[in-house]
Formats: sequence, C-alpha cells, structure tokens
Amino acid sequence: MLGAAIVLALVAFAVFGPLAAHHGPLQSDFVRGVSPSGTPVGPNADFPLGADRLFRDEFARLAVAGRLSLFIAVAATSIASALGAAVGIVAGWYEGSRVPVDGALMRFADVMLAFPFLMLVMAIGAALDRTSAITILVTLGATGWLGIARILRAKTMQVRGLEYVEASRALGQSTPRVMMKHVLPNIAGPLVVTATVMVAQMVVADSVLSYLGVGIAPPTPTWGRMLFESQDDVMSSPWLFAAPATAILLAVWGFNMLGEGLRDALDPRET
Amino acid sequence: MSRLASRLAWSAFVVWAVVSITFVVQTVLPGDPARMVAGAQARPADVARIRARLGLDRSLPEQYSRFWGRLVHLGPRNARADTDHTSCAVVLPLGAARAVHVDFGKSFQMSQPVVDVLVARIPRTFALALVAMALQLLLGVGTGVLAAMKRDSWLDRVLVSASLLGLSAPTFLIALGLQLLFARTLRWLPLDGFGSDLAEHARSMVLPALTLGIYGAAYYTRLARDEMIVLMRKDWVRTARAKGLPEWRIVGTHALRNALVPIVTAAGLDLGALLGGAIVTETVFRWPGLGELSVKAMLNRDGPVISACVIVTSVAIVAANVLVDFAYARLDPRVTGPREGGTR
Repeated sequence: MLGAAIVLALVAFAVFGPLAAHHGPLQSDFVRGVSPSGTPVGPNADFPLGADRLFRDEFARLAVAGRLSLFIAVAATSIASALGAAVGIVAGWYEGSRVPVDGALMRFADVMLAFPFLMLVMAIGAALDRTSAITILVTLGATGWLGIARILRAKTMQVRGLEYVEASRALGQSTPRVMMKHVLPNIAGPLVVTATVMVAQMVVADSVLSYLGVGIAPPTPTWGRMLFESQDDVMSSPWLFAAPATAILLAVWGFNMLGEGLRDALDPRET
Repeated sequence: MSRLASRLAWSAFVVWAVVSITFVVQTVLPGDPARMVAGAQARPADVARIRARLGLDRSLPEQYSRFWGRLVHLGPRNARADTDHTSCAVVLPLGAARAVHVDFGKSFQMSQPVVDVLVARIPRTFALALVAMALQLLLGVGTGVLAAMKRDSWLDRVLVSASLLGLSAPTFLIALGLQLLFARTLRWLPLDGFGSDLAEHARSMVLPALTLGIYGAAYYTRLARDEMIVLMRKDWVRTARAKGLPEWRIVGTHALRNALVPIVTAAGLDLGALLGGAIVTETVFRWPGLGELSVKAMLNRDGPVISACVIVTSVAIVAANVLVDFAYARLDPRVTGPREGGTR
C-alpha cells in the first residue's frame, strides 16, 4: 500500500504542482530568482526548490516534467500492453496448433530481444529533429511489448484448455470472441501487474533518453534533463540535483511496489 | 551436431534480421547524412556529390545490396595496401592472397574507418564488462547466499529490500550517486574519463564497474537466495548435515554448486548485453567504449558508426545466447533439447 501512496502522491504533485507554483516552468525571473551575490536563489517561500541556472523555478519545472514523464510512461505502457496482450494471446492460443502463428511471433520476439533497444529509440529520436512527447511514447510503446507478450502467451496456454473456454467454443462462439470475452479477463491479473511494473521502466527509459540528450528537446523540462543540467553544480546547489533524482527514484520505487502489492492482492497463490 | 548447426543457422538469421532492421530504420527515417557530412553551409552541388559518393542517391534495394556487399566481401590478404579496401578489416584469411573482409565504411564525423574506431573501443568495453560481471556475481551471489542462510532474520530482510531498491534504481542514478560520493566529495577517484596510462585506466574503471556491479547484483541476490532456499531443503543437504559436515561445506560444495545452473544462465545473457556496451554508464563516466560511441554517433547522425554499433551489440547478445545454451546443457545433464525462450 506504500506503493499506492507514493504513486498517488506523485500523481497529485504532477496534477496540482504546476498550479501551486508561483512561476511558469520556462520563465526566467531575474529579479526574485537572483540572490544578492548574483547566483540563482536557493530554496525559499517563493522558490520552494530554488532557481536553476537560468533563474527558473525548479519546483514548477519539476512538477511540469512530472506531468510529462508520467503521461509518457503511462501512455507508452498502454501501447506496449495492448500490443503485448494481442501478440501474447494469439501466440498462446495457437501454440502447438497447425496455424504457425506462434512460431512466427516467437521467432520475431527472438530477433527483437537481440536488438539493442536503447539504440533504436535513440536512432529514431536523433533522426527526428525535434523530438516530441508523442514520438517518445510511441517509440517506447512499440519497443516495450516483448515481456508482456511472453508472459501472456504462457498464461493463455494455461487458460485455453479450461472448461469455460471449451464450453464457449462448444457453444459456437468465434475465436476472437472467446479470446476477448473469456481468455483476456482471466489473464487480466498478470497483465495489470506487469503493466504497473512497466510504468516504472518507462519512467526510467524516458529519463535516460532526456539525460542523454535524445529525449524531448529543451527548454521543455524533463527529469532526465534537469539531472543532466544540475550534475555539475551538485556541490554548490545540491537541491537542484536532489529534486529530479528523488522524483525518478520515487516514481520507480512506487510503481514497483504497487506492482508487487497488486500481485499479492490479485493472485494469493503466488505469495 | 545437428542441434549445433540449427542453433548457429538460427543465430545467423537473427543477426541478419537485426542488421536489416538497422538498415531500414536508418534509410527510412528523415535526416540527410549527406548534409551532415557536407555541413550546414555546403553548396547543393557539394551535397549532391557527397550523396552520390555515399551511394545515397540509389534505389533502396540497390542501397541494401551494396550495404551487404560492402559489409562482408572477399578481398586481398593485405587490405589496407589496396586503394579499394582502405576501410576494411581482414577477419578470415583464405590462403596467401585472399581474405574475408569486414567493412563498416568510414565514419561521417571522424573521417576514419569505422573498424579502426571499433578496434580501439571494443577492448575497453570488454574490460569494463568483465570486471562489472565479476563484481555483480560476487556481490549478488554473496549477499543472496547470506540472505538464504539467515532466512527471515533482520539481515535477510535488509538484503532483500536493498536488492529491490537496487533493482529499481536506474543505472544513471547509481552512477551519479557514486560520482557524488567518491569523486566529488571524497575525491578518491576520477569523476570520469579514461586516463592516459594503465594505472589511471584502472582507477577510472572503478566507478563505472561498481555502478554496473551494484545494478546487476540485485538480480543475482534474489536469484541466489531463492535457489538456495529451495536447495537447502533437499534430502542430500540433510544427509550431508547428518554426516556432520561443517556448514560452509554443505553450502559451498553441495548447495551452491547446484544453484550454479540458473546463475550461469543469467550471467551469460547479462554478459552479452554488457559486451554490447553499457550505454548509460559509459556515457555518464565518459568511458570511451562502444556504448559511449553509439550515443555520440546518434547525436551526430553518423550512420556507419550506428550500424556498426548495432551489429556488434547484437552479435554479442546472440553469441552469448548460444554459449549459454551449450553451457546449460553441460552443467545440467538433464537438458537435451533447446531451452524454451529466454530466462528474462
């Protein structure tokens, strides 16, 4: 439940944080953001997390970046889950049958596993001059479905021989209908658990891309870029570094814990 | 034997598919390599000339066949002496005069043969990968066995939660944390870079290797702990206890040996991924290996270098997979057929 609390807190921060901030995320404040010595101000009531190198409100940037990161992670996970579920159910259903679709799909997955993904994502990111949130989330989603497909394939193979599936087939229901109505709901548990943990991986992937400079282009704030920009000032203004680092850690930890919690709740046999 | 042959044929197919995907991704995406080579201010005529020289003005199938024809071809034994083979590397001599060449072309940005860049960088990535692997096995298996021995104690709980934290901490946060502690605050080790002599290389390698070691160890902690808990309940462990063997021998020679099968499997696959270059870690520490090279190549849109990095990485992964399959069969005599799917 700690996981759920962390995730809720992060979502609340991303939703309400930008409203609570006194400044816009892109707005440099050369009056209140400057300390008497001319450096960016440290944390105070006006700038709760201080100002960054360009005298912008770190708090506002963190919150807006959180919106973007969480949105990208959840959207990418949804794409990956939909693709993975479709591939996994179809492959699992036809496993061992005369329709060679399982073999083909799993061979394809073998190829994808040998493919250095980060490079593919970076290649696409670098080739499109100005990377947008949509590009990132589509790329992450389109490359992240393998794990889900494998898990759901195995689960489908367990479910497909059960009585209620046989019964619905005996009643003459079409295969797609059986898959949607009877297989999918019965493997939804593992799907939800895997997807939750995947959100954490997507948050990391998104921050890695922006940290490496191939993610969403500045000045749009991202957690990864904020880390990159603050890493050399970490001794003089540690809060600028600590803020995005904590945000990423909390997001990853929270979604992982939530996933484990959901696993325990949804499948008591596996604990 | 037929199993070996089919496994190798399948691996060759996977490499072919990966290389082809790379080619397609590169060609289909927007962005003009000829413009990148010529520079932003170049005249259109110069860009067109460079485009023709790189073969980018031809049709896709033609570019594809030229791409493969250049990648692997036959040539003279002494490649660099021939003006047509200045960017080739000899991989397999055939008799006195001929040899199989591999040619990744010339880097757009560094204007030197990509194979030369690779030859300089691969040993650095390999060295980092091997040290990181050793570290993560030592750390991971050590803590895993310890946690299993002290099962349900506070130590077990601490180790298991730490491993969950390690699993969820992204590599670049571990890297930045270690930099902050050992380089910026304590000033014991260099912040990043490679150094200029062997002692400096070694000092520069400590933090990246530790980053990968900590990140990877978490997985082995869990794996070793779960395996050991199951194994310690076996009858032969009870027999060993009844014989009065000391605990360290029961754990070391009886239980741990049986836990090696899944650990070696996981380690082999991991090593494949590490050999392809730990992109993030190498970049954070500016370790001049394959991973850092690939990020640079991406940012500069250096096509030949990107392809080379993808090919080297996927070959490393595929080779590790094959090795694991055979090591697996060796370690566990019960295994006869090919293993179904990957473990991770």
